[in-house]
Amino acid sequence: MPIKTMKRQSRTILLLLIPFLIVIFSFSIFIYYSVSNYSENYFFKLLEARAFKVAKEQLDNEEVVDRNVLDKLSFSEKLPHEKDFFIPIDDAIDLTFEAQRIGIPENFLRNVVKNNSDEYVSERYLYKGINYQSKSGKFIVITAAENYFQLNQAENLIQTLLFAIVASILLLLYIALYFSKNIFKPISIITEQVKEISSENLHLRLKDTNRSDELNELASTFNDMLDRIETSFETQNNFISNASHELRTPLTAIIGEADVALSKPRKPEDYIESLYIILHEAEKLDNKTKALLFLAQTGFNGKVQKFDKVRIDQLLWDVKENLESLNAKNKIHLDMELLPENPMKLKVNGNQQLLHLAFSNIISNGCKYSDYDTVVVSIGASDDFVYVVIRDKGIGIPENEIKYIYDPFFRASNTKNYEGYGIGLPLTRNIIRMHNGKMMVTSLENQGTTVQITLPVWQP
Amino acid sequence: MKKTILIPTDFTVQSLNVLKTVLANNTTNLQFDIVLLHGVSLSDSIRDLLFYSKAKQIASLTNPEFEEAFEVIKNKFDSQINSMRIDLFTGYNQAAFNNYLEGNRVEQIVMTNQKLRLTNSKSFNLETFIEKSNVDVFVINAGEVATLPEKGKLAEVFFNHAQVG
Repeated sequence: MPIKTMKRQSRTILLLLIPFLIVIFSFSIFIYYSVSNYSENYFFKLLEARAFKVAKEQLDNEEVVDRNVLDKLSFSEKLPHEKDFFIPIDDAIDLTFEAQRIGIPENFLRNVVKNNSDEYVSERYLYKGINYQSKSGKFIVITAAENYFQLNQAENLIQTLLFAIVASILLLLYIALYFSKNIFKPISIITEQVKEISSENLHLRLKDTNRSDELNELASTFNDMLDRIETSFETQNNFISNASHELRTPLTAIIGEADVALSKPRKPEDYIESLYIILHEAEKLDNKTKALLFLAQTGFNGKVQKFDKVRIDQLLWDVKENLESLNAKNKIHLDMELLPENPMKLKVNGNQQLLHLAFSNIISNGCKYSDYDTVVVSIGASDDFVYVVIRDKGIGIPENEIKYIYDPFFRASNTKNYEGYGIGLPLTRNIIRMHNGKMMVTSLENQGTTVQITLPVWQP
Repeated sequence: MKKTILIPTDFTVQSLNVLKTVLANNTTNLQFDIVLLHGVSLSDSIRDLLFYSKAKQIASLTNPEFEEAFEVIKNKFDSQINSMRIDLFTGYNQAAFNNYLEGNRVEQIVMTNQKLRLTNSKSFNLETFIEKSNVDVFVINAGEVATLPEKGKLAEVFFNHAQVG
């Protein structure tokens, strides 16, 4: 763990440092060269002006009276270590000899003759040569002076820049260290906390810091995910135990009944009675397995079912007829008060059998839990959705249990006197979900339950 | 035949009951222009007024359940509704309200004897203006309000039954 942290930290530091170093180095180099270039140019100008002045004084014996030039440049004084050379240009000129005498390359003199002026930089001196037309003939005038910048200021500038670089690196190093530590601290904390959570302690959650930043978002996303995992874990656990229990009850009855019947010879009537009981229990078992099978089929996102245009009002009339023929006590009132005038708005894209199953499930539940009081089924439609609202005045669902109603085999605490397996609602919800619909159950205990089903309208 | 009616609303599904009752009890071939009116006072801030948009304010006041229920009713009574819209009244005095009624050619105001539930702090009750207005006012008996499991949900619109009279 510490090695990993180190790695991550040093990577951040490097990431911060490298671009900064590149920038600051290129800046320093740029500053150094621009300053040195500028001062050299300036110095050469000074030298040129000096050369003219010296030439005028020496060769023409003339005082310079041009006030303007004097004002502009303070070259009336001698420059530090200034040396002036005058070479008359005549037939006897020997450039090689003169160059050796002054200590400059011969090329420099040739260039002066050819281009009227040239510059040359030696280690200590800067040379400026010009052609000068005096009264007594043509001259090459060379002024040399010590490279003031190179000797006095360059070193100072380099030192200052180096010092600035070192100081800023140290400062940045400190900042980078601080940042890398503090940026990754919450992540390390989250990692630690997540590591602690395993299948045994799924109830643990990450700490929320109430700040609205990305890390808190990460933590809450983790928590949401843990919520879902925990629920599905529990559902799975409950499902298995409930399923085995539900399936075992009729099996135990069958085995017990058969055992008793076989314990001694009996009269045929007794056998018949036993067989009836066994048959009844086996049928129950069959119903349960069928329901389970259906639940599994609808739970998968299988594409087996064929979808078609279904008219909801027609479907509900079918359901009503079917349920009333199954049990004469069922009273279902279809409320058409808000039926839309345009029948196209009642069509949904769905599977007739599945929707029939879903609606009969809910409506028969309503009949059952309201002791066969009237169940009101209302239909309405907006432009995009068809709404079916099923309302009963039955026993309702206790408020704290309403979140479990979609768990397979869950049965609310007040349903002891009613027969059921607890598969109907999850199955219905699966079916509605397959149709991209929504199902909403609201209930008040002992006052009734309202189920609102929203299905998208069929789009041509 | 067309008739413009005004119904005060508080953007609850329950308040649409009036609308449903009116339309359900209409046996003539009258077509309605319906204005659902909500009273809300404007902000004092000049900046808010600069960027004021009625549509935006209506959107912030309504809720999905109300809109769904509104559409369900609209679909049910399609042939009786010529036009239907939600509007805000932002005036301060009786004259402004009378002016509004006249400007929108409101022929009748329909309301319940039940108090509106104003959740927004800026909203105000139009009742006092309605009482003093010179337009025909029709009051519907809302009946008893039972605590239903579907309170506030869309389902409510299916089960509201009010009497006329």
